[in-house]
Amino acid sequence: MLSVKHLSIVYDRVRPAVPAAMDISLSLAPGESLGIIGESGCGKTTLALGLMGLLREADIQGQVCFQGRDLNTLAPARRRRYQWRHMAMVFQNSLEVFNPVISLGEQLAEPLRTHLGMDRQAARRRVSAMLELTGLDPVWQDSYAHQLSGGMRQRALIAMALGCSPDLLIVDEPTTSLDPESRTAILNLIETLKREMGFALILISHNLPAVQQLTTRLMTLYAGRVVETGMTADILRNPLHPYTRGLINAAPDFFPYKDLWGIPGAPPRPGGTTGCAFAPRCCQSDDRCRQSLPPLTHVGVERQVACHKGGIETVLQAVGLSKTYRSGRRTIQALAGVSLSVRRGEVAALVGPSGSGKSTLAHILVSVLAADAGEIRFRGRTIVNHDATAAMGGIQIVFQDPAEAVSHRFSVLEAVREPLDILGWQDRSRRDAKAAAALAAMHLPTGPDFLGRTCHALSGGQRQRVAIARALVTDPALLVADEITAMLDPSTQAVILRELKAQQQARGFSMLFITHDIHLARKTADRVYVLEGGRLAAQGAVFEILAANDDNRTHPLPRVAMENE
Amino acid sequence: MTALSIAYGSRRWRFRLTGTLSTGGQIGLIFLMTLLLLAAAAPLVCPHSPQKTSGPALAPPGAEHWMGTDDLGVDVWAQVCFGARVSLVVGMGTALLAGLGGALAGILAGYRGGWVDGVLMRLIDILLVLPDLPVMIVLAAFFGPSVWTIIGVLSAFAWVFTARIVRARVLSLKQRRFIQAAETYGAGTFYLIRRHFLPEIFPLVTVSMIRLAGRAIVAEAGLSFLGLGDPTSRSWGFILHHALSFPGIYYTAFWKWWLLFPWLALTLVVLALALIGKDLEKVADPRMRSH
Amino acid sequence: MTHPRSKRLLEYLFTVAVIVTLNFALPRVMPGGPFLYLSADQDQEVAQFSAAQQDYYRRQYGLDRPLVQQYAAYITALVRGDLGYSIYYNQGVTAVLVDRLPWTLLLVTAAVVLSTLAGCLLGSISTAFRGRALDRWLYPALIAVSEIPAFLLGLLLLFTLAAGWQLFPLSGAMTHFAVYASPWDRLADIARHAALPVLTLAIVRTGGLYLLARNSTATVLTRDYLRTARAKGLHPLRILTRHTLRNAMLPIVTRVFLSLGGLVGGAILVENVFAYPGLGHLMREAVLVHDYPMIQGIFLLVTLSVLTANYLADRVYGRLDPRIRETPAEAR
Repeated sequence: MLSVKHLSIVYDRVRPAVPAAMDISLSLAPGESLGIIGESGCGKTTLALGLMGLLREADIQGQVCFQGRDLNTLAPARRRRYQWRHMAMVFQNSLEVFNPVISLGEQLAEPLRTHLGMDRQAARRRVSAMLELTGLDPVWQDSYAHQLSGGMRQRALIAMALGCSPDLLIVDEPTTSLDPESRTAILNLIETLKREMGFALILISHNLPAVQQLTTRLMTLYAGRVVETGMTADILRNPLHPYTRGLINAAPDFFPYKDLWGIPGAPPRPGGTTGCAFAPRCCQSDDRCRQSLPPLTHVGVERQVACHKGGIETVLQAVGLSKTYRSGRRTIQALAGVSLSVRRGEVAALVGPSGSGKSTLAHILVSVLAADAGEIRFRGRTIVNHDATAAMGGIQIVFQDPAEAVSHRFSVLEAVREPLDILGWQDRSRRDAKAAAALAAMHLPTGPDFLGRTCHALSGGQRQRVAIARALVTDPALLVADEITAMLDPSTQAVILRELKAQQQARGFSMLFITHDIHLARKTADRVYVLEGGRLAAQGAVFEILAANDDNRTHPLPRVAMENE
Repeated sequence: MTALSIAYGSRRWRFRLTGTLSTGGQIGLIFLMTLLLLAAAAPLVCPHSPQKTSGPALAPPGAEHWMGTDDLGVDVWAQVCFGARVSLVVGMGTALLAGLGGALAGILAGYRGGWVDGVLMRLIDILLVLPDLPVMIVLAAFFGPSVWTIIGVLSAFAWVFTARIVRARVLSLKQRRFIQAAETYGAGTFYLIRRHFLPEIFPLVTVSMIRLAGRAIVAEAGLSFLGLGDPTSRSWGFILHHALSFPGIYYTAFWKWWLLFPWLALTLVVLALALIGKDLEKVADPRMRSH
Repeated sequence: MTHPRSKRLLEYLFTVAVIVTLNFALPRVMPGGPFLYLSADQDQEVAQFSAAQQDYYRRQYGLDRPLVQQYAAYITALVRGDLGYSIYYNQGVTAVLVDRLPWTLLLVTAAVVLSTLAGCLLGSISTAFRGRALDRWLYPALIAVSEIPAFLLGLLLLFTLAAGWQLFPLSGAMTHFAVYASPWDRLADIARHAALPVLTLAIVRTGGLYLLARNSTATVLTRDYLRTARAKGLHPLRILTRHTLRNAMLPIVTRVFLSLGGLVGGAILVENVFAYPGLGHLMREAVLVHDYPMIQGIFLLVTLSVLTANYLADRVYGRLDPRIRETPAEAR
């Protein structure tokens, strides 16, 4: 029914011209629903206005085929016949979205009289019916926009859009500035009306629960370009583009327990970059990303992503790891064919009770232990010996017991500098500087007094920070944190975890966070692996696994949770 | 430059000749400055007296009399130069009196609120609906015309424009967090006015005063033109009045200097003030386009 | 207070009371008293009255009675439409005003209509051609015109069009002692005489209205509701008339009414430029001959008219804009 091909919209009446949407293609069958997400200013609304033919001050290229006709080639008078009759829009709610000096009834009746040729009486009856359908008392048609509350105005907007029974309804941010109760009511209303009237729906929103409830397909826009498309459920569960993941991770509706961390940085001006627009904010960008634009390519039947790395890279992939301990005649199978993967920039939690094999797994991953069977690939290459850990930008581990991790004879500086010394990284003074920077990152003093102190004189919390600093000094791509706070008091634990998370957010490394504490996992992780008796019992997004597992929560998403945006 | 760079709180509101003013505004400013100099140095630049006969009656402009002479043989150039003094005094006097008074009233009404605001607003409402020229004519008729009466009466009416703008700005300022924060630290009214309100309001008042000066000059000219101005001050409006009283003015070419030069002087002053005002307006507040 | 509308009316009545009282007080507080110069002589050579004569007139006009009584008598006379007696014109003030008022009304009404039409038209043209050559010329030209005081423009027109090229009569409202062949000739004569004063007032006012119209239409065009209207696929004509103009008109209507005060001031001066026999001309005469009852009468008439216009503006605006209807006046 709707097929958009290579649509580009450039606001060319301003200097310099602003390309607001670039090379967007999409298609929509009758009755289908598509969600469009992205931060403010990414081109969502421009795209909608472009589809509706409402952009005058812009240069529009590409095809918008609707019911077999290219709307962009139609004369304005012909195009008007499609507007509202077949393709209507629920505008973003604002005080001025209705004309303030014309009664609502007249404004709702206008399209009926224009497109359906109704007379005054018929139009008025239809308006009454539409208002009732959307849950408003028909008496409101004699009042004016300023007399309505935000929720009522939203209903009136929907009533106006559906008056001519359009085939396609574009809804722009239907829930902004509504309280949680009205928000739920409006979403349910749209869902019901869609079921009853059978229109196709394009929903523009940065409210992910709304998108999840109302749409089957999803599209992520960034800086005017499509960066990911696919089935809504797939994308929300397993986002492929780092940007989509960032959006989902920042949504409190999905991660009610986790600390809020947005995507660092701000969106660029659309068209202001040559390479991938997301590269400056991306945790896995390299020179190629900054220089050339990644095309939107299929990575699955229904899935497309625009990323040189084919979506979020897998940093670590472990396949079929097994380990059996022998003590005398007894054999203990610590791991039985465990496979897991950690992706770029994510925090994966590995949870499980004591003795479930967590530490064994961690030690195998960093080559402290050798696995009996299985394979570990780090950034696509199978690990041989210590090559993944004995490198800058490799894998590092922080152990559970801080007293054990750092030699008590070393001074703080020596301890942190040790990996660099071993790797022979650059010269002495640069190593000292890098070590000091790592200490500073973990909020430790960097004066000669502290640097020269021997480690045994440090408190448990300080030692653990020194251990983390030592791990960070090689700029690892993956940090394995093995119960790093288990021996600390709750307050020190909280401080250290926040500092570590801040470093992860800023540097974008991945983290495998091993803990037996489900609450800690919920606070820090994006994805989770549950290990029981040496086998993986469950794996998935935190909101799927831990919310459902722990406290009788049947629905993974508490929908009416947040305050106004 | 000098007149405008006395800006209060110069950090944010330094009006620079080139930075703030467009070409039109710069021309206007240069014209005004020239006029100010001419008015101040009138006895030096005018070879003839503006009062006494100094040549043949109704002589056209020439080497001796640059702008010709009037029916009594008085030099028109001298009359224009000395007339500028009246216009500028009336303009600046009214602007200062009404501008400062209005600013004070506006701050008081906006900041104190309550009955002070109520009374002032009622007064402003009344003064706003009164047409000012008839009132001035009536007051001039009843109290006798003099330059000082005119300045007084003009100020009595003109302060409301400044006051209204200033009050609105103060009201919105009062809602700003930094004012509220200062109040929580125990800042007094005087402190707030000095450190917060005045610097914010200064540009508004400047623009308002420029507008007021223009209005005042026009009003004085109008009154004098009607023959109701100060008879002792030979302002531009008075020259126009005098020229029009000459019976043959319509049927001869005398108007081409006698009337034209004071007419030009008035028109150019008004335009110059408007050009500067428009430029500063854009800087001060794009919303105050109305009055 | 009760209903906002009646509160507004009360405010206006209060202003009326202030003006009436001011009018009553003026001659009583003027230096030297009103009879110092009471005179029927023309020009400015004013005969001063002796003390005895002043006393006589003071009794004659009832100024020796207590103030309260005087005030009551003044109000009663006002209510009956009696504005006093003009010595110079040897007629009741009201009669003279009724005689002259139509000419001023003619000027003002014609100027309002012309300038409003021209301002709106030019403003819409400018908006339509925003940023292009036409707009770039119109805008500064009309700003300049709007700043020139009416009487200066009047003088320019008088000396070029009337005195120079003799396209229009120099003064008056009708040719003296003319005998008209038909009512149409009479109308044409009136129109010829009114042309320049009306043109002057209209041109001067057009600038301001042009700016307002240009601003207002441009603002309305960016509003969300116009996008809504266009999205609905309505006919462009309906969008223009029902959605755009309706909203763009609001500030213009208010301005037209509210600027009447300034227009009256302009009219007084312009009437004197063209010796047009309206209230403004009358006022100058009255001031020159110190005809105080006449001055007071004109002042009262003019101020009350302007006040009425302001009140009407309030009411009309409320009619046009439903948002104003229920909100109290303070909120505006």
